[in-house]
Amino acid sequence: MEFDIPLPEELELLEANSHFYEEEEDDYLNFEEPPYPYPIDGDEEKEEERVAQKEPHVRQSESSDINGCKRPRSLISDPMVNLDEVSPASDKRSKIDANRVEIEDEDWLRFSPVKEVVHVMEEEEVVIPQETILSSNLVIGICRYASEIDGECVPITAPDGGERVYAKFCRALGDEEVKKLDVNDKSHGLIKDPISVLLQQSEKEAFNKVLQASSEDQNETISAEASVMHEKLWVDKYSPSSFTELLSDEQTNREVLLWLKQWDASVFGSEIRSTTEEVLSALKRHSTSSHHQKSDSAFTRKKQFNRWSKESFRYPKNADVSNTNTADNNDLWNKKSKLTGPPEQKILLLCGAPGLGKTTLAHIAAKHCGYRVVEINASDERSASAIETRILDVVQMNSVTADSRPKCLVIDEIDGALGDGKGAVDVILKMVLAERKHATGKENIENVKTSSKKERRTAPLSRPVICICNDLYAPALRPLRQIGSYICSTNGESCGKQAEMCANDRLKYICYMEGMKARSFALSALAEYTECDIRSCLNTLQFLYKKKETINVIDIGSQVVGRKDMSKSLFDIWKEIFTTRKMKRERSNDASGSGAKNFDFLHTLVSSRGDYDLIFDGIHENILQLHYHDPVMDKTISCLDCLGTSDLLHRYIMRTQQMPLYVLVNIKCTRCRTLLVEKQESLRSWHHKIPPYIGRHLSIKSFVEDSISPLLHILSPPTLRPVASHLLSDRQKDQLAGLVMLMCSYSLTYKNVKSDPVLSNLRDDAASDALVLALDPHLFDFINFKGHQFKHHVLALAMKQVLVHELHGDLDCMILQASGGRSGILNKPEIKKINQDLARKRNAAANESQRNPISSKPPLVSVGIATTSKPNSSDVKKASRTALNFFDRFRKSRKDYEDPEDVQKRATAKRDSRPLLFKFNEGFTNAVKRPVRMREFLL
Amino acid sequence: MEIRVKCRCGEEECSEWAIVELQGVVETQASFQGSIQNLEIGRLCHSDSSQGTYTFTVGYHELAGSKVTLKKPLLVLKKLQFDEVSGKATELEVVGIIRTKILFKTRPKPLISGNNLSLSVLFLIGTN
Repeated sequence: MEFDIPLPEELELLEANSHFYEEEEDDYLNFEEPPYPYPIDGDEEKEEERVAQKEPHVRQSESSDINGCKRPRSLISDPMVNLDEVSPASDKRSKIDANRVEIEDEDWLRFSPVKEVVHVMEEEEVVIPQETILSSNLVIGICRYASEIDGECVPITAPDGGERVYAKFCRALGDEEVKKLDVNDKSHGLIKDPISVLLQQSEKEAFNKVLQASSEDQNETISAEASVMHEKLWVDKYSPSSFTELLSDEQTNREVLLWLKQWDASVFGSEIRSTTEEVLSALKRHSTSSHHQKSDSAFTRKKQFNRWSKESFRYPKNADVSNTNTADNNDLWNKKSKLTGPPEQKILLLCGAPGLGKTTLAHIAAKHCGYRVVEINASDERSASAIETRILDVVQMNSVTADSRPKCLVIDEIDGALGDGKGAVDVILKMVLAERKHATGKENIENVKTSSKKERRTAPLSRPVICICNDLYAPALRPLRQIGSYICSTNGESCGKQAEMCANDRLKYICYMEGMKARSFALSALAEYTECDIRSCLNTLQFLYKKKETINVIDIGSQVVGRKDMSKSLFDIWKEIFTTRKMKRERSNDASGSGAKNFDFLHTLVSSRGDYDLIFDGIHENILQLHYHDPVMDKTISCLDCLGTSDLLHRYIMRTQQMPLYVLVNIKCTRCRTLLVEKQESLRSWHHKIPPYIGRHLSIKSFVEDSISPLLHILSPPTLRPVASHLLSDRQKDQLAGLVMLMCSYSLTYKNVKSDPVLSNLRDDAASDALVLALDPHLFDFINFKGHQFKHHVLALAMKQVLVHELHGDLDCMILQASGGRSGILNKPEIKKINQDLARKRNAAANESQRNPISSKPPLVSVGIATTSKPNSSDVKKASRTALNFFDRFRKSRKDYEDPEDVQKRATAKRDSRPLLFKFNEGFTNAVKRPVRMREFLL
Repeated sequence: MEIRVKCRCGEEECSEWAIVELQGVVETQASFQGSIQNLEIGRLCHSDSSQGTYTFTVGYHELAGSKVTLKKPLLVLKKLQFDEVSGKATELEVVGIIRTKILFKTRPKPLISGNNLSLSVLFLIGTN
């Protein structure tokens, strides 16, 4: 590539010549000899000759009557030689031409590479007729030799080479001609980009065209054969093929592109560059040395970058913020670029919700910048070593195959890869750190093994790496964030309406292309429903299309086939809780049903996340900073009340399983801030069985929260053993009597509800006591939480039976003692009422128990819960009947129990009969070895 | 000081002893306090199938152990004291030689007989 860079002398000549011409314009009549010796170099000769030939052509094309101005040519070199050289080197020449042209006008070149190429072609075409012209130069009026022109002639020197031709001089037109010539020379003479770049650009252009054409073809063909069963997914089919087609946020797109562009210098080196005036001047300054690649490239980069940032980095929105940012970036980068190639931030982290087009953006942008995209989908290769080798391959090696574009690594779902291996992140970190070490100094290298290893390989991280993740704040990504990766977020909400519009347009277009009928309203509803998730939109559309259905606006929710489980990050959840409040509120004003919907939505959101504590803390932290209309502080109070409640519950009950709902209650409060929420709270937490009582009776609340657990402890002492009463020791007998007394005084009793031999229900019998009045019988429900195994000792079945037996006796006594009639009358309606209550509650319990496995509970109680799931309003009779059955059983079982007791006793006796027992010493022995003299043995 | 070790048995006939090493203590039941004499400690079984494994049953525990050769063999001596005219003379008589020990170092396995087992299951149900 000798021609890539015009030799400095040459350029100098060129400039000198141009000056010369300016002077010459005034007195062109004077025949001036060329002021410099003609270069002897063969290549140069060719060049010059080419220029010389071009000039006439230009003239000819510009003005038809060029014949008028002719000048005699002076002989400079042998014409035959020139001619000989011209024809074989025509292709080369064209290259040079292109070179020149590029150098000459860069702006024009940059924006229309195709035109340029065309131009080159033009030149090439022109050259050939020119030769014929040369051979018969007399006719045209331009000669190499002044002697061949009769009359006045003007010497015309090629601005770059110093080649001279003589044209016949025509007085009438001369002035304009010269001017025109000059202009034309400038516009056609120099091209500042090397031919390779031009070719590449033209190639790219052609490629894009072909791509577009092919995609269009595809569209056409596929729409033609839409009936064929095998179809591409619409998502793939209509994926954007060029940068301008991207649907994601414009600003993000540009940022990604900017970042990628920063790699140009280091990746492409001096290949891509556009020579500017600065280069020329630089070349002039260092005219002695032949090639100044370094300074050259530095300048070009700077220049190019500046221009690029100026011209194409326009933000339609948020211009001020982003522009200042990028300006800083530019400065920084400019400084940096003079020293080393790659940008400050080596890694681009793209994050955003699924389906927004992160992967597409990465691919398109990389392609746009001339990279070959290598995607590592981190979810399929999990082991660290596998990922490492792949990354190293991509980043440190160049392919020798035809597709020798530099690679750009796209690591998809990098947060997903981290479960076990953490491979990708580690590898990247290592490489980046290695780079840093290298930069700071070599003495550090020995310290870190890995970095030194990398150092030996000498290719730390020389290719752009784009990491794509869903959750920027995933703990695994923390190191990546810390090393200052450039972070872009494609956020659907950030672009908001605009993105929705874009998505809508695209959806409409696709529907149109596919011949699917869809109203734009429905499409927008769909887009809204999926939160601008284009992928799911398209999939849904295709699915519906296949099913020959149309989108139904009303039940998009039911039509949409599946939603991804959306586990959002904490920040998103908080944002969801606080920011979208207004919009949702508006809606909830319309229908109260939507409020519940919102609530459900949030519920799933929060429960899919799981860090209830954190969410809760976040809410607490931020709630007071919100601005809302609240003159009487009612809402604030209720919100804080809710927070307090959940806090209390959290502390007292310490059942994390219960937290989501309470957190949600708070969410609800913070959002709607109405008392309606309170109702919902109670309804919602009714699930968990405490709330109705909390909501209605304060005393009960305290009872439930504080004293139920101890009470149950008292009611079921673990020391009591299920032994027939005559086997009990005196102490145990006392205990039992005390317990029975207690239960009597609290009007509690065991009562079986079903035919099963279950006695887990406590019954509130006589409504005499003030405290017991509202007490619900089913005490165990209060401590029976989802997924929680209660630690209370549950009395054995036999024990309960004993208790019931005793209780009945006692109750009878009491009833007899006290005015017996009253409690007898009260009893029946009370029981009925309670049973209804139980049935109602069983509904709730049923929901509950369906959700959580019962295995965690002790068998008896669990059976009780499970069976209560079938609500039975007519159990009063049944209960009494089964009670009879039950007592029969009890008697039987008591006999059963006596035998094992004896056996047990015998067993213990047997155990005691063993004379010697072995006691295992845990761990090590404490034995100390010490030397003993033989004497001690002997004495 | 001269210690004379006398071995009455012949070269080959010296009886071999073995050490039973337990990690733990063998205790007497409270009811048998004081009268340790003639009590059966337990049963040591040597399984035929695998060479080095022994089981030792003490009380309601079963220990599993293995045979280990000692690095330095030990002698079992019996001290004999003579009261002669010239004064006391002490002799040590070799009773046996110990080359191996049976080491029980694992946690004992409680033995529950069939009767007891069923009872305990019943008991569990009852307490629930």
